[in-house]
Amino acid sequence: MTDVSFDVVVVGAGRAGVAAAYKLADEGFEVALVERAKQPGMKNVTGGVLYGSILDDLVPEFPEEAPLERHVVEHNIKLLHGDAEVSIGYRDLELREEPNYTLMLGKFDRWFVDRAVDQGVTFLSETAVRDVTQEESRAVVHTDREDGDIACDVVIGADGVNTTVGRKTGIQRTMRNEDMALSVKKVIDVGRETIDQRFNLDSDEGAAYIYTGFPEGAPTIGYFIYTFDEYISVGAVGGLETLRWLGDEGYGETGTPLYSLLEDFMELDTVRPYVQGDAVEEYQGILVPEHSYDTLPDRQDRRVALVGDAAGLVLNKGYTFRGLDYGIKSGLVAAEAAVKCAEDGDWDAFGRRYDTSLEDSYVLQDMKQHRHLPKFLKNERMYDAYPGIATETLRGMYSAETDASGLTWRQAYRAFRRSDAGFLDLLKDGYRGLRSL
Amino acid sequence: MSVQDDLETVEWDVSEDAHITVDNEQCITCEDKPCLHLCPAECFDYQEDQEGGIYFAYEPCVECGACMVFCANDPDKGAVSWSKAEGGKGVEFDFG
Repeated sequence: MTDVSFDVVVVGAGRAGVAAAYKLADEGFEVALVERAKQPGMKNVTGGVLYGSILDDLVPEFPEEAPLERHVVEHNIKLLHGDAEVSIGYRDLELREEPNYTLMLGKFDRWFVDRAVDQGVTFLSETAVRDVTQEESRAVVHTDREDGDIACDVVIGADGVNTTVGRKTGIQRTMRNEDMALSVKKVIDVGRETIDQRFNLDSDEGAAYIYTGFPEGAPTIGYFIYTFDEYISVGAVGGLETLRWLGDEGYGETGTPLYSLLEDFMELDTVRPYVQGDAVEEYQGILVPEHSYDTLPDRQDRRVALVGDAAGLVLNKGYTFRGLDYGIKSGLVAAEAAVKCAEDGDWDAFGRRYDTSLEDSYVLQDMKQHRHLPKFLKNERMYDAYPGIATETLRGMYSAETDASGLTWRQAYRAFRRSDAGFLDLLKDGYRGLRSL
Repeated sequence: MSVQDDLETVEWDVSEDAHITVDNEQCITCEDKPCLHLCPAECFDYQEDQEGGIYFAYEPCVECGACMVFCANDPDKGAVSWSKAEGGKGVEFDFG
């Protein structure tokens, strides 16, 4: 028999789970927020920018109150090719009007949980969920605490990419290499003034850098640099399937450790000036879901809904990663579905209602619009031939040493002819690119 | 810098119980042993005297879940048994 009961149990105190719990407490629900770490954020890792307008309604005062790092006013995409780097930079003071920030989850998630507790959420830390079962008229969350079963009307699984809730209920299908990217990241102490100088920023301004094209021709491998208040983070991301066969450092003479790629990346002449620092303060690893809209796993069953990374709601757009705001939005949508169920008492409709509302939300609309993008980003020409063409064209324009001469379009044409890409490829890729972006 | 130096920056409250175990018998037939290069914390080490050549230590695990995907979930491999660390134990990140 289970003695402890709540209206809703939220599993996992990341931003998706906390947003859901916060909103439900605000609506007067009895909510338990279950977290396996000692303190919020200790198990949480990100490599992204918070596109913060999603918090405007829930916590309008967050830009003043939350521990944020830097206000992102500049984005850079950098294509690496041999000794060269071709970059597109975008800096816009109008971005100052948008609440987009870099974050350290250790601080941010602790703040967010404190705010949720102020709203009336019951926070249970050091509690790992082992199973979730559904009975006739309730659900039960089984934890590793003594007498640790918690009964409730519905469960929100916000327990991240390796979701116990999703796996134990059988909602989530078995994940394979093709579904996941691995990311490793270092947080480096650089100091505020050095960051301002190195990245050409004013004190609270931040920049985000995304790199591809290294090693040449390796699909799905990318890198990022984010500026924090006094630290920077630099990380690598690569599809597990690519990492399994790329290179020859592995036991079976295929494969490369992602941290070796990150080391090599940080030693590149074009990268080293940005990332050199006194000391690595922390090293982290995390899986990143790599689904397209069409391959998203299931996310609900009757009284259980999965939100955030647990539902695979992450999109690598090639020029930025979306996930932090998708997680928060999905948590809010799940909370709204629970509110609706409380109104008419039809708790069995919870999962279905959540799913329907999420489908109409900007999260899945966005993923649907970009449904061809994940496949497009697996195209090897994006990491080899095209950065090569761009580099050779620019070299023809700016280098006095090359034998290239004549009009720019002729140089671009010659660079294209020398590359491995054919005309048909270019047409197809151009079409696919336009269609997916 | 090697990953071992980087791992020096990480803190753990190590549990007495392993949250991940390896059935070495399954490693005997595994030809490419992707664990040796895909685990970002080098929890898997090649040691000839071990069955299947794999020595596994759960203590330095950063709890990313990669070994669940590339080994436990692969019907041709399946040496890894995976679960989350017990409440309050395991890796403790400061920054995130």
